[in-house]
Amino acid sequence: MTGFERLVTRIEHAARRRRLQRAWRAFWTGLVVGACIWLVALLSYKLLPLPMRVLAIGAVLGVAAPLVAAIGGLARRESPQQTAIWLDKQQRLEERVSSAIEVGRDPKYGRWSELLIDDANRHLERLDIRRILPWTLPKSSLWALLVLTIGAALGFVPEYRSASYVQKQRERETVRDTGRALADVTRRDLEKRAPALDATRRAVESVAELGEQLARKPLTKPEALRELAKLTEKVQQQARELGQNAALRALAKKQSDQSDRSEKSDRSDKSDQSDRSDTKTESADGKMKASSDDLEKLKRDLERALQSAEALKKEGAARDKAAQQNLADALNSLSQQAKELGLNISSLSEAIEALKSGEIDQLLKDLAVADRDLEQLAETARALEQMQMQAERVGKDLPEQLQNGQAMAARSTLQKMVNLLKSGNVDPKQLQSVMDEVSRAIKPAGQYGKVADHLKQALQRMQAKDNAAAAQSLADAANELQKLMDQLADAESLEGALSALRRAQAAIGTGKSWSQAGTLGQPGFKPGGRPGRGVGTWADEDGWIEQPPMTGAWDNSGIERPEMSPRGITDRGEAALSEGLTPTKVRGKLSPGGPMPSVTLKGLSLKGSSKVEVQEAIRAAQTDAQSALSHDQVPRAYQGPVRDYFGDLK
Amino acid sequence: MNTDEQIAKFREIYAALKREIGKVIVGHEPIVDSTLIALMAGGHVLLEGVPGLGKTLLVRTLGEVLDLTFSRIQFTPDLMPADIMGTNLVMEAPDGRRTFEFQHGPIFAHLILADEINRATPKTQSALLEAMQEHSVTAGGEVRRLAEPFFVLATQNPIDQEGTYPLPEAQLDRFFFKLLVGYPTAAELTEVLNRTTETAQATVNRVLSREGLIELQQLVRQVPAVSHVKDYAVRLVLATHPKTNTAVPIANQFLRYGSSPRGAQALILAGKVRALAQGRFNVSFDDIRAVALPALRHRLILNFEAEAEGITTDKIIEQVLSEVPENAAAVAA
Repeated sequence: MTGFERLVTRIEHAARRRRLQRAWRAFWTGLVVGACIWLVALLSYKLLPLPMRVLAIGAVLGVAAPLVAAIGGLARRESPQQTAIWLDKQQRLEERVSSAIEVGRDPKYGRWSELLIDDANRHLERLDIRRILPWTLPKSSLWALLVLTIGAALGFVPEYRSASYVQKQRERETVRDTGRALADVTRRDLEKRAPALDATRRAVESVAELGEQLARKPLTKPEALRELAKLTEKVQQQARELGQNAALRALAKKQSDQSDRSEKSDRSDKSDQSDRSDTKTESADGKMKASSDDLEKLKRDLERALQSAEALKKEGAARDKAAQQNLADALNSLSQQAKELGLNISSLSEAIEALKSGEIDQLLKDLAVADRDLEQLAETARALEQMQMQAERVGKDLPEQLQNGQAMAARSTLQKMVNLLKSGNVDPKQLQSVMDEVSRAIKPAGQYGKVADHLKQALQRMQAKDNAAAAQSLADAANELQKLMDQLADAESLEGALSALRRAQAAIGTGKSWSQAGTLGQPGFKPGGRPGRGVGTWADEDGWIEQPPMTGAWDNSGIERPEMSPRGITDRGEAALSEGLTPTKVRGKLSPGGPMPSVTLKGLSLKGSSKVEVQEAIRAAQTDAQSALSHDQVPRAYQGPVRDYFGDLK
Repeated sequence: MNTDEQIAKFREIYAALKREIGKVIVGHEPIVDSTLIALMAGGHVLLEGVPGLGKTLLVRTLGEVLDLTFSRIQFTPDLMPADIMGTNLVMEAPDGRRTFEFQHGPIFAHLILADEINRATPKTQSALLEAMQEHSVTAGGEVRRLAEPFFVLATQNPIDQEGTYPLPEAQLDRFFFKLLVGYPTAAELTEVLNRTTETAQATVNRVLSREGLIELQQLVRQVPAVSHVKDYAVRLVLATHPKTNTAVPIANQFLRYGSSPRGAQALILAGKVRALAQGRFNVSFDDIRAVALPALRHRLILNFEAEAEGITTDKIIEQVLSEVPENAAAVAA
């Protein structure tokens, strides 16, 4: 190896080490920069209402900065000449090495280059590159550590969010969850019962789409309510159009009456323990033995558990261990009940696990899923029970079936007649029996549109001994009944969609969860659907859908009417009074700070000194107040303050 | 003689010259070093200082240690150019014919001591211009070469003294170095007294012949100066050019004219001599910095503001040295 090669080798070794050290230093510098970026992002997130993705971006940049800096340091190569200049400067070699590198390549210098290379090698031999470039932590590492420590400490500081922001976030969350549930419920309905009419299918799908839209990109509360109201109006319009068919209305009414009668008789039957086992529902695999009432009860218990879980989340799980234990007991009991009923609700088990591990959010999600599953099971059970009851009470012949609105049974009977007539070997007795049955069925069929016409035609043809044509007429009547049944099913789909929409409105309007909104009831109704005390029933006279008929198009989208929110008119809950309405005990003032209201007093205006003892007057006032409170003459929101006021009088 | 031997001889002679001069001159080591550097680089030296500091003695001693013809010219206000260069005289031959014959002036020597050069008028001072640059004189229409090596060592009193004529810029630029001779220290002054007020007389030996000096001067020019060192010298000179992109702020403020290219030449050549003298085979940034003051101080022309504020060229050069980075990459950044 020549002297020049030796020199170049040494310099390249130094250059390599220098490059690695540059990357090392750049890494730490990058770490400082990254930590600062992360700190700024964290600080911004703590102080300003920024989305979580700011933290994610800050973290990505924070991690990327040292890596990019280190790669940049590694990528930067320098020539041997540059390294030689650095070595000269660093070790005060008076340009010996850089001169040797430059002159060593130039033959014109002859002996001088050899002298220079020898001189440079002599000086470099004394140097230890490892000592010149030791692996130590740069100063920037201290800064990085400091910034990271501050960042870690800042992580424990709770973020500041204004009350209005928190409220808005909660509303958005409610809108998102409600949208998800709306889409889920509607899609499930669509899968279970595909509407026969295109218009109905489109209407129900539009409900599911709105739900998906709300879940995907949550709107603000007013926007969401406006969209829901618009769609509700559209679906109602669709339902009204469907309801204009008199035959369909008649069939629906008959079925409703029949259902009511069935329910009454069912309720009476339930007192009998032996009959109870008959109403048990069995799933396809035969394992589920729960009745709809069992499932309803289970569902109510689950909703109570869900509310407890929500309360636990608000109060903080760590603070109330007793509540946590109660909830755990309730869930275990629910799980046990479900097992006894032959139900396998996996989300309930997951909820128990989530509670054990203290993941309240996951617990809430699992409970919501379990609630939806139970609701679906309850619906299925109800449908099966209804079918079972209908089967038990099916009319004995066609006139009775038509009279009872048992379209399915009537259709089946008609089909049997058609088969009989088509068979060709009908004896006169049988024919007479059929004719008899058909002639009696004409009258009850009159309310089902063309069914009666087809029956009349069939009767005439049978009388004319034209059995084939009569069979055709009876088949037409059966088809007509099938059409009516399809339309009725569509109406039920629309009613289901409307119900889901109203539930979504209730959930968004009250800020409650989907499952809680299901228990809120209709305006003017107490939870559970029963009319509130002192309020007249708003039930539809026609017995058609529950909504009162609309008289024209309206749009309240721009109007803020919190009192008209879907909480109900009389059921205002336990909400706190607004500041201006909060009664305070200030002598001589009814509403401190506000205008003095004019109060009209009944009776004569008496002047002069009182002849009644103060205690007596107070007792009289307290009695009157108690009477007014017990007769619901005081609005519910004011009952508490009124009771307190008169109670405190001495 | 090969390069290694030449280098060894250079160091030996350089050390011997310093030693011999040191026998006579007390202290002033930087002045002696700079004078020797200029001698080896083949440049002229202007020594400035108040009277009595040993300027003339230094030059005289140098004349004694070098085996060269020595000539001393005492510059006075009535000195004429012909008194320096020589003149044509009418000479009568034995046969009675009269012819013009050139009588060589004192400039026809290897080593010239131009004592108190600023006491002569500019006309006379200018007589040295051609001789210093071209190493030739023109008299009576004839160009006459001066003997090599030709080396002018001029002394001058500070220009603010009575009866002085400042040297023109062109004349100043021809000096390789301008050395400022300062007062001796107490120890040096004591040594001066010891040497000059007692009977003992210092005798110096001749160390270097004419041929030897020429050989060393050629050797000096072979010393490699690498590109980034040359680049540094160039940037230093360019930084003194006022009203240019390369000028440092102080140059823009206080300079009327910056250094000529002779300044950059002087930096590199002097750097080479210094490197060899210090046992190196290459010119370093330190060499350039060490010779920057003597090489540039007489080449910068101050403006009125600098004169008024008492700013010296030395201060400007120091500022230039501190502001111009060694690494060209730093300039680009």
